[in-house]
Amino acid sequence: MFAHIFIYRLKSLLRNHEGVFWTLAFPMILALFFNMAFMNLNSFEEFKTINIAVVESEQYRNDPYFKSALNEVSYNDKRMFNVTVARSEEEADEMLDNNDIAGYIIVENPIKLIVKKSGIEQSIVKNFLDTYVQTKASIETVSKNTNFTKGDVFALPYKNNNYIKEVSPTDSPPNNVLNYFYTLIAMACFYGSFLGMSEVTNIQADLSPLAARINVAPVHKLKTFIYSTSASAIMHISEMFILLIFLRFVLGIDFGSKIGYVILTIIVGSVAGIAFGALVSAIIKKSENIKISVLIGVTMTGSFLAGMMYQNMKYIVSKKIPVLSCLNPVNLLTDAFYCLYYYDELKRYAINICGLLIFIVISYFTVYLLIRRRKYASI
Amino acid sequence: MPVFNLCLKILKKNIPSMLIYVGIFLGISAAMSFTVLGEQKKDSVFNQAKANIVFINEEDAPFINGLKQELSKIANFIEIPDEINALQDALYFREVTYILRVPDGFTKKFMNGEDVKLEKTVVPDAYSNVYIDLAINKYLDTAKFYLEHAENISEELLVQNLSTVLSLGSTVELKEKEENLTGNEFLNFYFNYFPYAMLYILILGTSTLIFVFNDNDLKKRNLCSPLSVYSINFQFMLAILVFMVISWLIMVGFCFVFDFKNCLKMNTLFLITNSFVFTLAAACMSFLIGNLVKGRGAITAVSNVVSLGFSFISGVFVPQQMLGSFVLKIASFNPTYWYIKANNNIVNLTDFSFIHINNVLYYMLIQIGFALIFFITALVLGKKKALN
Repeated sequence: MFAHIFIYRLKSLLRNHEGVFWTLAFPMILALFFNMAFMNLNSFEEFKTINIAVVESEQYRNDPYFKSALNEVSYNDKRMFNVTVARSEEEADEMLDNNDIAGYIIVENPIKLIVKKSGIEQSIVKNFLDTYVQTKASIETVSKNTNFTKGDVFALPYKNNNYIKEVSPTDSPPNNVLNYFYTLIAMACFYGSFLGMSEVTNIQADLSPLAARINVAPVHKLKTFIYSTSASAIMHISEMFILLIFLRFVLGIDFGSKIGYVILTIIVGSVAGIAFGALVSAIIKKSENIKISVLIGVTMTGSFLAGMMYQNMKYIVSKKIPVLSCLNPVNLLTDAFYCLYYYDELKRYAINICGLLIFIVISYFTVYLLIRRRKYASI
Repeated sequence: MPVFNLCLKILKKNIPSMLIYVGIFLGISAAMSFTVLGEQKKDSVFNQAKANIVFINEEDAPFINGLKQELSKIANFIEIPDEINALQDALYFREVTYILRVPDGFTKKFMNGEDVKLEKTVVPDAYSNVYIDLAINKYLDTAKFYLEHAENISEELLVQNLSTVLSLGSTVELKEKEENLTGNEFLNFYFNYFPYAMLYILILGTSTLIFVFNDNDLKKRNLCSPLSVYSINFQFMLAILVFMVISWLIMVGFCFVFDFKNCLKMNTLFLITNSFVFTLAAACMSFLIGNLVKGRGAITAVSNVVSLGFSFISGVFVPQQMLGSFVLKIASFNPTYWYIKANNNIVNLTDFSFIHINNVLYYMLIQIGFALIFFITALVLGKKKALN
């Protein structure tokens, strides 16, 4: 009996092209769009050499220390400034208006910086100028009681003495674009709810003619349900594996090195998605359209709270309403992937997976209570 | 006008699923208008940008307090519990970009001239790190300088000297030439987000209409009616046009509700014109897609994929300047890209003479070009189908 129900259910699932589109093709297409849109995000916040201008003047020409400091200062082997010399203030103004430069410097006493807006680039320039002014002042204070040549000292602060070393608690860089893909795969797992929904529709006689026919067959209802749900589970887990392979090997999304756990997460997530669909379908006794709207609505809200549209949402929720992030199964799943990528220890990962397992057990138990022993006087 | 009326009836049936998208659009716009309008205080003086950092101090020394004082000029200190996971989370979600740890015994070793280092954990290569690194190195460099050249200086005197010297600085002048641009952020966002909802609605509506009318039996029945083919087609097109204009009016109308104050500016007039041109192109594209789609289930799939896809690659969700040049090249083959490009141009306009609006008009023309291509292709395809 198992083989019979299982095989025919699998066949009918495979032939439902629309179902395959939403559970497999759509997440893949979305992942492709994510990849195209986000692949530059991380390099966008990377430090780039800042374009500035200095207005040509007598004082600038007579201050070789300033000139060399401006040209030589660097950060992480990148030059900090790209300096253009402007012949006049008007010329510098024009460059500023065309957004060619972040600001321009007029060498006078005190040194003046002219900018169009406040921003991080402008602040870096100002910081550099401050440093210059301050160094000059320190030299003047100290040189009152010691004798040394000014030149030696001026070179000193720009030797790039580094008093800071970088320590990283993990090998994985905090690449926050990844979270988008983690929520995406979590969403795809919960799109499995469409399969779970049709499992219940196919077994409750008042929901579909097919179910009425199945109910009159002399097979235990629970057995039929388990057999056919396992077909759905196999189908959906395979789809999720295809998605995972696509994400990992075609788009190059990093899931960390614990690949066994990633596979476990996919399986648990898939089953949780199907359980969720069965639960909604058993509780809401309305038309299929309404059930689908509820499924999409809940999955989308869950994905939103897990950071699919705005990644910091996940962090905000976990800080402000921690209960909500524990109750949201999409977030549990996203967080499981996040922990595998970013943490070395598995404690939080284990908590997430346990949360999902509890969700699966409660859902199926409720479904069991709701669909068992139904009798119909008339359908 | 029976055909026209029928079209409106079909469209009316699809209103609920379209409303979802209008709802999402308006919801996000409302959320944006509150945040953007709340922040709309244009600075008249230069403000140092402040980075968010975590400062973990394992020792209590005046020298380190002096460093913290100095850093407070350029950084906000965020309190995060000193646990590895909490700190990692904060970095990942960019609550902070820099975690600085002062190890125990740092001051003593530093004062003795030993080679000792502070520890940082950072988001790699972030801009604000340059800034913090500069400030810390400056503080320690200057301190070292004093230690080397002023002999036997005490820690207190050193801190005092440092704070006097480091309070000096350059002056910054802010050139204010942008008064006219204040307030355009919200409208820029609103109109940049507009194509997502508009594309979805138009594709869904138009495809449904074409799908119904392309049904073979219905087509045959319509052809034996006393209406001429010309009249049927005319009414059909008219219905699509009316549908397009009404959707556009509703969507654009809400921008007056959200931000009435800024809606009467010249920039807004251009934004609205541009959105109409885009709607026209989108309608023609929907007409083409409607002719290609087979099956009712495919309509929702296509409208979702096309509206999301174009929005992602053309700069609706992620600003164009953050997209890679390769993506933008692909995106330039669809009107959404040119629409967004025009929008971003329009909000920065302060002078509306021909030289300045030249680019905007050019981008609009490209959109119209797209509209024509889509429309003609759709007609050719329709004719081919009819001949078959």
